[in-house]
Amino acid sequence: MIVLYDYVLSASAYKVRLMAALLGVKLQLEAVDFHPGRAHKSAAFAALNPAGTLPVLVDGDLILTESTAMLVYLARTSCAKWLGGDTAKAQAQVQQWLAFSGRLAASLGMARLHDMLLYPGDINALRHQGHAALRELEAALTERRFAEQDWLAGDTPTIADIACFPNVVLSQDGGVSLDDYPAVRLWQRRIRSLDRFIEMPGIHRLHELRAAPVQV
Amino acid sequence: MIASQVLNEWYPVAMEQQIRAGQRRDTQLLGMPISVALQDGVIAVQGPVRTFPVILRFGHVWTCPGTPAHDLFTVPEADQPGRRLVDVGVVRVKCSPLRAVENFLDIAHFPFVHTDVLGAEPHTEVNRYEVQIREDSDEVWATKVTFYQPQAAKSAEGGGQTEYMYRVPAPTASVLYKTCPARPGEWDVIGIFVQPLSEELCEVWPWMALFDDVTPQADLIAFQQMIFVQDRSILENQLPRLLPLDPGMEIPTQADLTSIAYRRWLKKRGLTYGAQMVAA
Amino acid sequence: MTTPWIATGLSDDLPCGGVMAGRWQDTQLAIWRSASGQLSAWKDRCPHRGMRLSHGFVRGETLSCIYHGWVYGLDGACKHIPAHPALTPPAAIRVEAFVCVAQDGILWLAPAGALDAPPSLSGLRAVRSISLTCGVEAVLAAEPDLSGHDMLRGAVNLAGQMHDICLLAQAKPDGITLHALSDPRADPVHVSRWLEALRRRAEERVAA
Repeated sequence: MIVLYDYVLSASAYKVRLMAALLGVKLQLEAVDFHPGRAHKSAAFAALNPAGTLPVLVDGDLILTESTAMLVYLARTSCAKWLGGDTAKAQAQVQQWLAFSGRLAASLGMARLHDMLLYPGDINALRHQGHAALRELEAALTERRFAEQDWLAGDTPTIADIACFPNVVLSQDGGVSLDDYPAVRLWQRRIRSLDRFIEMPGIHRLHELRAAPVQV
Repeated sequence: MIASQVLNEWYPVAMEQQIRAGQRRDTQLLGMPISVALQDGVIAVQGPVRTFPVILRFGHVWTCPGTPAHDLFTVPEADQPGRRLVDVGVVRVKCSPLRAVENFLDIAHFPFVHTDVLGAEPHTEVNRYEVQIREDSDEVWATKVTFYQPQAAKSAEGGGQTEYMYRVPAPTASVLYKTCPARPGEWDVIGIFVQPLSEELCEVWPWMALFDDVTPQADLIAFQQMIFVQDRSILENQLPRLLPLDPGMEIPTQADLTSIAYRRWLKKRGLTYGAQMVAA
Repeated sequence: MTTPWIATGLSDDLPCGGVMAGRWQDTQLAIWRSASGQLSAWKDRCPHRGMRLSHGFVRGETLSCIYHGWVYGLDGACKHIPAHPALTPPAAIRVEAFVCVAQDGILWLAPAGALDAPPSLSGLRAVRSISLTCGVEAVLAAEPDLSGHDMLRGAVNLAGQMHDICLLAQAKPDGITLHALSDPRADPVHVSRWLEALRRRAEERVAA
């Protein structure tokens, strides 16, 4: 079974947990005491990943330390349609979004770690960069909607959507509201409505997807 | 001007282990800059003008920025042999410290906020329970609280009726006692120690004293952090920011008896830091 | 006295069963659309413990608060309290409502009791909303072809052709949101890119 060294509050680890759930792939989750224990910086952990980061994916003798690479690996070995279209253009667009997801992590993700777990950082700059990235995402999703497309790359959800989703949907944890980004709001809701979607803390269940229950 | 009753209470300001390991923590308490560090091998809290007294208890550093009115509360279960003591780690929340405590006392939100873990539709009914303000210790207590839970603890297998007791021994600290799956007849203890940085900003230090010989430490920490961070996006979106202590702004129901008692107790004792008195 | 209508978004940005945050001047609102398409705009605060209703969820013709699941009907009255399923909620538990109307593809807000209809923009097509960190003055300074105050209008050059543009300004704490309409012949992609460029110019003016 694929092993994921994991932390419940990590947006990057959640990308992988979410992708696996959507694919129906079972992961063996190994919880690492990231906070407060900083176990990912320990000597023991460095033997696994010298960079001292989470998540880490291990499948036999394969060790991956970048979450977007993990998404590619899971999709490729499980359901290739999540990788996006086969053409050079389609693949390049997916790569563009995977690269963009790094900017979301560096801005919105770091703002969240600052506000929630007391990470150091210039919070005003991080939020400003976060809004800049969200503006680009809003513009792109708006143009996709004009073309009657719901997803970032292609006409079905791909790893591009999954890579960008966590840091965007958790942005309010870092003091960045999504109220001014209607296309982003509709896109994140679509992702949360996918079959086999799983949440993480900071993302509420969409109770509207379940009819009002009959009271016992 | 902060009321002397507020200044004369004990507040958590650091995790003992982290300061012992050499960390210096510059932080804020009731709007004042403070720092917590080792000085000559002893943990000290430096305020703006003088040092503040220190108590080391429940894995955390507690301090009092005034003249302590009493000792810090005790939790005898913490000293029971076989207990796992877990420092869950600090989480900062942009809310009133009093809102953070009040959310901890609430169970009606379990099916909606801690869905499929601490509660699930259609098991939303909150049964009658008992609340009192204990005169001898001057603490708020809720007992005979019961709720159906799909997965009440990391150590639980499947769902069941969980029984709770809630206790507020200090204005910004609360402890709950819940049915212990590993040892029926004993209580698992979970505490929330809230450091008020300002009236609208707090740092929450969850803590636990459990009977669980099986679950790795990292998983216990992850479970409790998951529960607390699920509450965080609620806490940061409640208005008004300051907890209303006068009736009129908010409408409680029978399920809210503990929070009603908590607000009444705060008002009676003049512990209004983080609260508002007049309906906005 | 004409009704002070303020635009808060595009109708297409609020599907049936959806809820979003809106604003009328300084008042924050939860705007939602029931399963059958009924629009409501309420003060964004559940009377129970003050949780924002814009974080809630729509089931059928009701909006529920995410915190304790309190259910509110279209009349703004609380219909059900999950913690007390057998209880009929007291009539006093209700939310304060504003008027919300969808017209010309725009969601318009006004205080309760509004009698007249929002300004007509027939012949124009709603394109998108865009938020800026500057005010209307900076937008007008950056785009001389537009004039107006809450409603900016003009003919602008999009990809070599002149098109009618209408921007409805909504005040926000840190700037404005413009809800943009154009004549239906304009390519919405060109309108969107023109708006992005306008924003850059307008915000640069303020930064300079």
